[in-house]
Amino acid sequence: MSQIQARFFTEDKRYVVDDVPFSIPAASEVQDLSNVINKLLEAKNASHSKVDFDFLVRGQFLRTSLSTHMATEGISTEEVVEIEYVERITAPEPEECMMHDDWISSVDADAEWILTGSYDKTARIWSTEGKPAMTVAGHTDVVKDVAWVKREGLTSLLLTASLDQTVLLWEWNSERNKVKARHCCRGHAGSVDTISVDPTGTKVRLERARQKLKRQQRTPLMTLSGHSEAVSSVLWCDSEEVCSASWDHTIRIWDVDTGGMKTTLTGSKVFNCISYSPLCRRLASGSTDRHIRLWDPRTKDGSLVLLSLTSHTGWVTAVKWAPSHAHQLVSGSLDNLVKLWDTRSCKAPLYDLAAHEDKVFCVDWTESGLMLSGGADNKLYTYRYSAQQAEA
Amino acid sequence: MPARQDRCFTKTKKLCPSCTLNTALFNSSDISNILSQSDADKLFPAFIISRLDYCNSLLSGCPKSSVKSLQSFQNATVRKLTGTKKREYISPILDIRNTVGNIPMEWYKDFPHIGYNLDGKKIYKPIRNKDELDDFLDKMENPEYWRTVHDKQTGSDVVLSDDQVELVNRLQRGQFGDVNFNECEPMVEFFSSDVMIHPVTNRPADKRSFIPSLTEKEKVSKLVHAIKMGWIKPRRVEDDGRGRYYNLWASEDSSILARHKMHLPAPKIPLPGHHESYNPPPEYLFTDEERALWEQQDPADRKLPFVPRKYSSLRQVPAFSQFIHERFERCLDLYLCPRQRKMRVNVNPEDLIPQLPKPKDLQPFPTTRSLVYRGHSGLVRSISVSPSGQWLASGSDDGSVRFWEVCSSRCMKTVQVGGAVKSVAWNPNPSVCLLAVVILSSERLLSAQQEGEEPAEGNGSVVWSEAEGEELNQGLRLKIQHPKAVHQVVWHAKGDYLASVMPDNTSHLQVYIHQLSRRRSQNPFSRNKGLVQCISFHPIRPYFFVATQRSIRIYNLVKQEMTKKLQTNSKWISSMAVHPGGDHVICGSYDCKLSWFDLDLSTKPYKMLRHHKKAVRGVAYHRLYPLFASASDDGSVIVCHGTVYNDLLQNPLIVPVKVLRGHVMTHDLGVLDVTFHPTQPWVFSSGADATICLFT
Repeated sequence: MSQIQARFFTEDKRYVVDDVPFSIPAASEVQDLSNVINKLLEAKNASHSKVDFDFLVRGQFLRTSLSTHMATEGISTEEVVEIEYVERITAPEPEECMMHDDWISSVDADAEWILTGSYDKTARIWSTEGKPAMTVAGHTDVVKDVAWVKREGLTSLLLTASLDQTVLLWEWNSERNKVKARHCCRGHAGSVDTISVDPTGTKVRLERARQKLKRQQRTPLMTLSGHSEAVSSVLWCDSEEVCSASWDHTIRIWDVDTGGMKTTLTGSKVFNCISYSPLCRRLASGSTDRHIRLWDPRTKDGSLVLLSLTSHTGWVTAVKWAPSHAHQLVSGSLDNLVKLWDTRSCKAPLYDLAAHEDKVFCVDWTESGLMLSGGADNKLYTYRYSAQQAEA
Repeated sequence: MPARQDRCFTKTKKLCPSCTLNTALFNSSDISNILSQSDADKLFPAFIISRLDYCNSLLSGCPKSSVKSLQSFQNATVRKLTGTKKREYISPILDIRNTVGNIPMEWYKDFPHIGYNLDGKKIYKPIRNKDELDDFLDKMENPEYWRTVHDKQTGSDVVLSDDQVELVNRLQRGQFGDVNFNECEPMVEFFSSDVMIHPVTNRPADKRSFIPSLTEKEKVSKLVHAIKMGWIKPRRVEDDGRGRYYNLWASEDSSILARHKMHLPAPKIPLPGHHESYNPPPEYLFTDEERALWEQQDPADRKLPFVPRKYSSLRQVPAFSQFIHERFERCLDLYLCPRQRKMRVNVNPEDLIPQLPKPKDLQPFPTTRSLVYRGHSGLVRSISVSPSGQWLASGSDDGSVRFWEVCSSRCMKTVQVGGAVKSVAWNPNPSVCLLAVVILSSERLLSAQQEGEEPAEGNGSVVWSEAEGEELNQGLRLKIQHPKAVHQVVWHAKGDYLASVMPDNTSHLQVYIHQLSRRRSQNPFSRNKGLVQCISFHPIRPYFFVATQRSIRIYNLVKQEMTKKLQTNSKWISSMAVHPGGDHVICGSYDCKLSWFDLDLSTKPYKMLRHHKKAVRGVAYHRLYPLFASASDDGSVIVCHGTVYNDLLQNPLIVPVKVLRGHVMTHDLGVLDVTFHPTQPWVFSSGADATICLFT
């Protein structure tokens, strides 16, 4: 039993091969299969240059030899195996390292600017090239979370949340490089740990470290109460739904129109962070037991873990879905590592980014192909990744 | 002399020629010519003594006249032989006048005579009119009395001669009767041990000495035949069943009997092992580490009572200094060994193990070290978590109090208090943010401080003072100066009262309770009950726990009386924690023990846990989860599951679930304090290595 009948297919129009079964050695690994595809493509197209491919067997990345993979997955070797191949994601390349004065608590990046919140009570604005543009100082305590609200031309609105129980709304003109505090949002009786801006950019949802969530413009529009402990993360799923993760081991999804709770997802450990991907409609949560769990927010039973991604050795403090890829997410952890995951390969991460020398507190993506991570070593690292696949 | 003998013999020959005696005498006369005097002296007595009886019988039939002459002859012979003189009395053996024979003389008691003489005439008893008095007088006056013997056969008194007395004395001394007899004559060796050239006899050995004896064979075969035929039976064994012996205890109760039959062998001494060898293999010798451990241990806890030593030869082994002690211990063992047989029951040993749930099923509990809070430069004495669980305060010997953000291990604030911090305690009331800090200042005063994010603080008996200026800016709000060094401060669950401990053996002013809202202090105890180690408030009821060195006292603060006294069975209590339900107390001690008390059950520990290798420094209960933890000098924190049931009949379930290690041993100190997160199953531990660890 050394040969397996396999049929290769891809959704990438550039690399299509004939839809015929091939007989390939069962012991062949990714590199062997990649060579096979390259040979086929060269036969078809003389100008083809060598490309590395990754292979998916029934939606799972091939990481071992084909026979081993099929044995563990329980796939019959009698039939023709359908193997999908995609261009391999190249390793993210470190680009810039932005030094801060103190620990970096949060990062939010859009296509042009990067906003970071730091433990030195300031927020900073950087260009994507790593040049410091502005330092936003005004809080009397540690800035725990930052967010861009919206950008109109050269004027941007940004939010900073701090341990001093306030959220400040700033207006920043990038040309004149002036920042002006527009509003101070009060209403929390404890530190404000996380904020989130709804997709349309008009409403802000704040969260505080204690049992209530507040949704604010200037004064709180609505308080969402239900969590029994600190809320660690909030986000807008879409314009009607807010999702919050808490230390009381639950993720709750709220209806913003009524202010009522729609779903509760119950885990067994403290949730540190959540992220929602509109592409695959999944919630990813990072918790203190070192696992990243994927949830389906639409289930009604509320406690279904679709998948657990386990490789970190410390608390997962940050998790973020790729903005343009349905399967990729990045996670940061207290074990100083940032990991890039593909949900189709749940056994091991695609890449470990071991640039940080201390705890990682925040990660982010931009649609322009940048990954960012910041942590307790006062450094914000940016990585360039191959963002060419947007086939989903 | 020979001539006279010859004449006598001749005379005798005439009288009774057939008499054997006379024949013998006659024969002797034939040989008398060749006999010397001394030989004759030996020979004649031999004949006469051997034949005397016979002579007497011979004489019985003779006529009186001849008898007389014969008798006189006989007497003469005897006299000759024994060398007595003619006038002396002749031995009664030879007195043949009474012919009744050798019969008990009592038979003649009632007769006037005592027998018959040779002529058949009665021999009359001598007239004895002596009464006892005469006898006594005789005894007193007669010098011969002591040698006078009564002759029963004749009824007369005989006075013994000197020779006879001498003879009696000699016989009594066990000597030969004859004075001249020499018992030590040289032996004439007929067959000497010397080997001679010529054999004694030259006759060759008989044939029969070489061959088996036919006669014997015949006898044996006869016996065998008789045995085969059953004519000879084996000797009958005497049957004892007839009742010669009987069972004394047959009617006893069988259970008592069974108990008496029980034999209890003495407990065995374990066989000596390689350790005890004078030249043990090197792996049995102590390393420095083991030796240090051995010396540190209590003699009762030591695995070996001695240190194995190596000597090059047995000669150099000194005397065992512990010998007397060891023997004494052995005697003590024998003396104290249980006098009851252990009934061995065949039980599967696994059935005896209580059905403890697996730790896996008891989750959640902390398992791994997640965060390390670094920043202190001295050992961290005390930690406390804010009621919200967001902040952690720690007090260290470097004179600073630090505030940490729990989730990021960030030190948010450092307050220098100017003295080693002994204890910190966060106010349990979530609406006020206060921290009580015990500072051991250099002038041995102590002040408790409280600080918070909206800093405020308090303290009491003492001098209450508001903080001002610089201290106010640092967050100090209130100072309570105590007269002595304070060691611990605890809050009441409501957050208005706090109590402080000043351990002092001599004073009753060891505990103060301060009321924050009214700024006053009181000393609840008027008497000194021992050195107070730690105190605690009951979480619900108005009780107050005071741990002294060996016991815990529980006071009712409303009734102002002691309600209970718990005996810990430990030598020195180090720490105490009260279950949030209020019915259970755990208590750690410096002798490595952790005791769990069920206040409803008893004043003795419900369970003693001896998992730590060194002194237990801190214990803590979780507020929500059924967990408790103990920190020890061996650098480990042991987390145990302790479910408390509402059902009074069910005892608490205690399962050790995890040993957490993460602290580095510094100056022989490991973990100094342990506390749980108020809401999560996380445990914080502070160590002598100036770090705080969070285990999740």
